Amino acid sequence: MNVSIVPALKVLRPAAMLVVVVLVGLVLGYWANATFVPGTSPEQPIAFSHRIHAGENEIPCQYCHTQARRSPSAGVPSVSKCVGCHNEVATERPQIRLLLDYWANQQPIPWIKVHDLPDFVHFTHKRHVLAEIACQTCHGPVETMDRIQLTSRAIDGSTQAGHPWKMGLCLNCHRENEVENGTDCLTCHK
Amino acid sequence: MSLFSRFMDSWRKYRKPGYYDEFDYHWTMAIDLDKCTGCEACVTACQAENNIPVVGEKEMARGREMQWIRIERYWEGEFPDIKLRFIPMMCQHCDAAPCETVCPVGATYHNQDGLNAQIYNRCIGTRACAVYCPYEVRYFNYYDHHWDSPLDKQLNPDVTVRGKGVMEKCTFCIQRIRQAKDLAKDDGRRRVRDGEVQPACVQSCPSKALVFGDRKDPDSQVFKSMHDPRNYRVLEELNTDSSVFYLKKVDA
Repeated sequence: MNVSIVPALKVLRPAAMLVVVVLVGLVLGYWANATFVPGTSPEQPIAFSHRIHAGENEIPCQYCHTQARRSPSAGVPSVSKCVGCHNEVATERPQIRLLLDYWANQQPIPWIKVHDLPDFVHFTHKRHVLAEIACQTCHGPVETMDRIQLTSRAIDGSTQAGHPWKMGLCLNCHRENEVENGTDCLTCHK
Repeated sequence: MSLFSRFMDSWRKYRKPGYYDEFDYHWTMAIDLDKCTGCEACVTACQAENNIPVVGEKEMARGREMQWIRIERYWEGEFPDIKLRFIPMMCQHCDAAPCETVCPVGATYHNQDGLNAQIYNRCIGTRACAVYCPYEVRYFNYYDHHWDSPLDKQLNPDVTVRGKGVMEKCTFCIQRIRQAKDLAKDDGRRRVRDGEVQPACVQSCPSKALVFGDRKDPDSQVFKSMHDPRNYRVLEELNTDSSVFYLKKVDA
């Protein structure tokens, strides 16, 4: 008696094709996600380390982020701010060379934004800095990070890496500190 | 507290659930129709300030226009004795707003400043509020509108660009109110002074027909305007208790 597996294979063929397509899709999707979506700790054009600046050398946050106490946005320092020190300090290191190249070409550094809020949220750094809320309250232990990592605070107060901020964090803090009209929607939503 | 006043209190709460007995600020606008020339400067200013898209002729014809403030035009009388009337119409920020009672998700509500708030990210787009609004001043985003470059660079960063499927309306320029409060805090003041907040329409009005301010301040300009003998409110018979007062045009 002749038994062939060919009919069985013919039936299985579409299923096998489906598996292959799904696998290829997964690989492509993973690649696209890693390439085009910055993620919670993207690689920056210059490997700037907050650990060295804010941690070891104890430079205050607002030395560079000068707009934090004056405007809604904390602001990224201009290249001239960096060069103000790095004209003299550590000029031989490869990363500083990169920085000085930007300076020589009069180009801004294309930093990738890590901490971002949705468009419908109004947040002003000014009011929070003037109320003497520590930067680490929302941004996590930045002074220990070599590469900046998106860090939020859970409602119980613990820091959680890789999580975006949620409304509960804002509301909880506003409730605890009894902010005037702090839970009105229009205080934060615009 | 006597039994009677306690009964009256609970009766009031039953009649107006979730409403404020007293507002912190009570933002109010007064519009003098004698001064209004119908130039539509307010319309343009509002469009620019609040990132309102220009929908185009086709959508306009389908009744899908977006204008938080519009100039309504009425003809009065027959041809030789004909008169042209203008009335600027925007969200009236009713203290007893019909739209607020109907929203199934609470995206529109009254806040402590007497503003009728619209929270875009909570809105699910039932459009029920637009049906309930007697003034027809709520506008629905039927599409994701976009601004061609370089027009997208002039969008106001303090105002959300609304996406498809949410309702929107006049906010009395909440971003300007928020900013004025912020500056008042910098000066160590608890309250905003009269005239510090000017919505875009008020600021742009060439004949100063529009006045904006806090009704609770008896010295404010808007308080004086709203107690002018010519004052009336649109569709007052509906008991919406609106916050926009109109001053009647006097015919010579």
